[in-house]
Amino acid sequence: MNNKEIKMMTPMTIFLIAVMAAGGVVAIYRLIFGLGASTNLNDIWPWGFWIGFDVLGGVAMAAGGFVIAGTVYILNWKKYKPIVRPAILNAFFGYALAATSIFFDIGQSFRIWHPMVMWQVNSIMFIVAIHVVLYTTTLAVEASPMILEKLRMTGAYRFVNKIMAPIVLFGVLLSTLHQSSLGAVYLIIPSKLSPLWYSSRLPYLFLVSAVMLALSMVSFETILSSRIFRHKVPFDVITGLAKGSLVVAALYFVLKVWDLASGPGIGAAFTGGFSANMYLLEMVVGVVMPLILLSMAKFRTALNSIFAVNILVIVGIVLNRLNVGIFGLAEYAGRLGADYFPSLMELILTAAMIAFAFFGFKVSAKYLNLFPGTEH
Amino acid sequence: MKDVLKDFRDVSGEHLDRLTAKGVSRRNFLKFCTGMAIAMGLPAGMGSQIAEAVATQKRPPVLWLSAQECTGCTESLLRANHPTLEKLILELISLEYHETLLVGSGKQAEEWREKSMRENKGKYILVVDGSIPVKDNGIYCKIGGKTAMSLLVEMAADAAAVIAIGSCSSWGGVPSADPNPTGASPAHEVLKNKGIKTPVVNIPGCPPNPYNFLSTVLYFVTFKKLPELDEKSRPKFAYGRIIHENCERRPHFDAGRFALQFGDEGHRKGYCLYKLGCKGPETFANCPVQLFNDVGSGAWPVGTGHPCFGCTEKGVGFTVPLHSPARPKYITPPSLFTEVFPGKEGVSPGTKAMAAGVAGAAIGAAGAALVSGLGKKDDVTKDKGE
Amino acid sequence: MSMNRRDFLKTAAAGGGMLLASQAVPVGAAMPKELPPEAIGMLYDATLCIGCKSCMVNCKKYNSVSRGALSSEQNIATPPYEFSTPEKIWDDPHDLSGKTLNIIKVVKNGTAVNKDAAENGYSFVKQHCLHCITPACVSACPVAALQKDPKNGVVFYLENRCIGCRYCQLACPFRIPKYEFEKASPQVRKCQLCHHRYEEGKFSACCEFCPTGASIFGKVVDLRSEAQKRLTLKPGSEYDFPVQTVGSKEKSRRIVSKYINHVYGMKEAGGTQYLLLAGVPFELLGFDKNISEQVLNDLTWTYISKIPAVIATILIGGAATWAITKGRHKDKEE
Repeated sequence: MNNKEIKMMTPMTIFLIAVMAAGGVVAIYRLIFGLGASTNLNDIWPWGFWIGFDVLGGVAMAAGGFVIAGTVYILNWKKYKPIVRPAILNAFFGYALAATSIFFDIGQSFRIWHPMVMWQVNSIMFIVAIHVVLYTTTLAVEASPMILEKLRMTGAYRFVNKIMAPIVLFGVLLSTLHQSSLGAVYLIIPSKLSPLWYSSRLPYLFLVSAVMLALSMVSFETILSSRIFRHKVPFDVITGLAKGSLVVAALYFVLKVWDLASGPGIGAAFTGGFSANMYLLEMVVGVVMPLILLSMAKFRTALNSIFAVNILVIVGIVLNRLNVGIFGLAEYAGRLGADYFPSLMELILTAAMIAFAFFGFKVSAKYLNLFPGTEH
Repeated sequence: MKDVLKDFRDVSGEHLDRLTAKGVSRRNFLKFCTGMAIAMGLPAGMGSQIAEAVATQKRPPVLWLSAQECTGCTESLLRANHPTLEKLILELISLEYHETLLVGSGKQAEEWREKSMRENKGKYILVVDGSIPVKDNGIYCKIGGKTAMSLLVEMAADAAAVIAIGSCSSWGGVPSADPNPTGASPAHEVLKNKGIKTPVVNIPGCPPNPYNFLSTVLYFVTFKKLPELDEKSRPKFAYGRIIHENCERRPHFDAGRFALQFGDEGHRKGYCLYKLGCKGPETFANCPVQLFNDVGSGAWPVGTGHPCFGCTEKGVGFTVPLHSPARPKYITPPSLFTEVFPGKEGVSPGTKAMAAGVAGAAIGAAGAALVSGLGKKDDVTKDKGE
Repeated sequence: MSMNRRDFLKTAAAGGGMLLASQAVPVGAAMPKELPPEAIGMLYDATLCIGCKSCMVNCKKYNSVSRGALSSEQNIATPPYEFSTPEKIWDDPHDLSGKTLNIIKVVKNGTAVNKDAAENGYSFVKQHCLHCITPACVSACPVAALQKDPKNGVVFYLENRCIGCRYCQLACPFRIPKYEFEKASPQVRKCQLCHHRYEEGKFSACCEFCPTGASIFGKVVDLRSEAQKRLTLKPGSEYDFPVQTVGSKEKSRRIVSKYINHVYGMKEAGGTQYLLLAGVPFELLGFDKNISEQVLNDLTWTYISKIPAVIATILIGGAATWAITKGRHKDKEE
């Protein structure tokens, strides 16, 4: 099975490979010369772009895997079966990249296995580490039918398909815990994180927003790949996802407003300060505008507007992760006179991660049956 | 040097001739006056003004009263060499009365003192060294049958100014150390109690630096007033700063390097003597700057490896134990310390730039998505129709 | 983990997202909550500090030895000095760092002439690890590279465990753990209360070399009562301040300054083993006013304690859902 319509040696592919090569150089430089030489991190900014964007953002964008897999295999909502494979593949890439980023972000990269054997159950970071490993493994199993099919290993293919439901259930469990635990990471810094984002409900907010992002991400991917790889869009799937997005966005909006009101107060978002503006931007782009657009049937049922809303949600929720991971700490760090702007190497490595995801997805689309049930 | 010569020429010829006749070379004289001006924190150009004052006026009459003293202050003055003592007493001032230096003695000396006081009434400078015993009506120190206390009162009443030289006359000094059997008191306190208003300048030190004394005298001669004084009546030009501030060993203090015992490694390396009881951090004096005896660097207690014992400071020298650590009372925080919590307002520029970039990208992406997504309608129907 | 029925239901409900606002008290946290019986610590009295930095110099010197907090197996010979001027005259760190575990900083206001006055004054402060009773860093570390000694309460570091995730840096409200960013094989560096010296019968170098008794070492219970006692002294009166250790025979007689009526570290972040007294408000001394008495580990434990319930809920609920919807046909919804 080789999708003839997908050409490999396009200028875009060459560009992606070039970015990945640059990322490879940076990665080697980072391992040899250390964090100080390659990043702009410092003692007040121990975590930067790699954690804020690659890990928090990447994992959130990978939420599609568990949401769609759960929908198809646990809720048995077979309508969404055509998009389960790209969703799982996307999640796998997301997690693999988050894990790779963590590998380069931690100071002792080759001790990344330590949490597996040196348990410290009080630590959210331990919980996160365990889940990354377990869930990435689970995703690999979930994605394996695509490979097994390609390799014509029928026996194994049948076996994996048979146990798919329990595996997906395990994946849903791990993902729920992992998405929420990323929010829980920040529970320990009430004195540092801006009250606009700090809340005892951070795990719930992370989970709900991840689900919201998952729906938009899968929808976005489906529409985009249908355009790039020229296959028919399963239209009812897209509108179904949009409907789901509306419900989750409404829930998330209520949660966020309630959280703000019970925390620093609604007024805190309208002070015009740095944090308040970042908060407003995140809310308007990622929640309010999608909610308004999706609530109108006209936009909810049109492919182009759904695509636009998807972009808004992706941008808004990733912005939320950056806000929690970076900009929410800016006022605290500013008081101490500490500054942070990602170094060129940090940006290159992140770009290489994204390029790898696109490239990997494209290769998968070409050589694997990524969209079963859709016509080419 | 050119400037100095120019200043020198400003002094009128007559005075120059007089000076030259007295064996003071023009150059040395002006150098001395300029040096004095600088020591007092005056502009170098003031040197010529001082020179003129010294050269044109009648030498100021000075009467020197010694009470309970050790003659250390006089000895210290003997070691001054710009000018040397004979220059000072023969050419710069007219030393009318000084028990150690007087040629005459006994009745002759006392009569000369009284004559000089009559002739220079209200014009002479009274220098006092030694503390004044006040217990039992001051019987513990008598000169020519008069108590030091009554002599001081008598002489200060007609003086233009009183200069209390040395720790003893400035704040009591060693004779006032516990239990103070003679009731040793500083000159200014005795005068205050007797209601005498003559201004008093204290030049504390055990002994004081002679140049602090000379500078004060010349200042008075030149400007007809006393130099600016601190709240303990010490000239600010000499006692305005604590020793610790100008100490040559200060870098060791700032770096936390201390001698812990005499002769240990730190002591031999010249580390800070704070832990050996150096009173530099609570003692106001210009010792580390002015030094002693004109022999170059190191000629002062701390320079020789002994902690400062606070002789210029009431309540420190002869009062607290020699090697107990000082109680720094005036530590101006040096700039070497990091501000603890800058408490800066707002967000640092880098983070702000990053946020601006991210926000721009987000707004751009959202705007582009909205424009392209909500504008077009056509392929929706097409997709639906397929 | 033992849970009673009510707790189970509560956490199960929370896991199901129904008790979002629940502030359920965590159960069975393994982190210490009470001061260890033999807890050792330090009392720093800013009014006695003269800013001589002797503690900084000797901290560096005595931790750059075998098993010291600044030494690794590769480096035990030279203290890691920091120079800020090209002449490299003296160790001149500007903040805590991977090379500096202890620093004297200053807070200045206005003309900065009055010691220990908030207005037109200045005060020194000694910044290093506070050795919390319930340390956020210990609770945050995923591999237990930071641990709290159960007996003397010292928060110490095991460099062979550390993976360098730097969550401890984020978690610590006092900004204490510092990272050797400049190294290819970096470590976390923080004050470990000279526990290598304590085991030899000595005590913290900073206290041993403090000339004025501004830093004193001792059992935390004794330090607490000494600190409380100082607050009751009349400003302007004289007091024999102990030097080096709280029970020391060597005293330094000083005039008592006016204290802020608060011992920092009694309750902050659940209490610490390093206590501070000062003449200016502590928030000026770099202690973020947002740091409350909240035990930080409780905040994350609230989450972790719910995990078993979440696992049970999702597995049981998911299996049930799967069983119910199994027979459902494609596109039934439409």
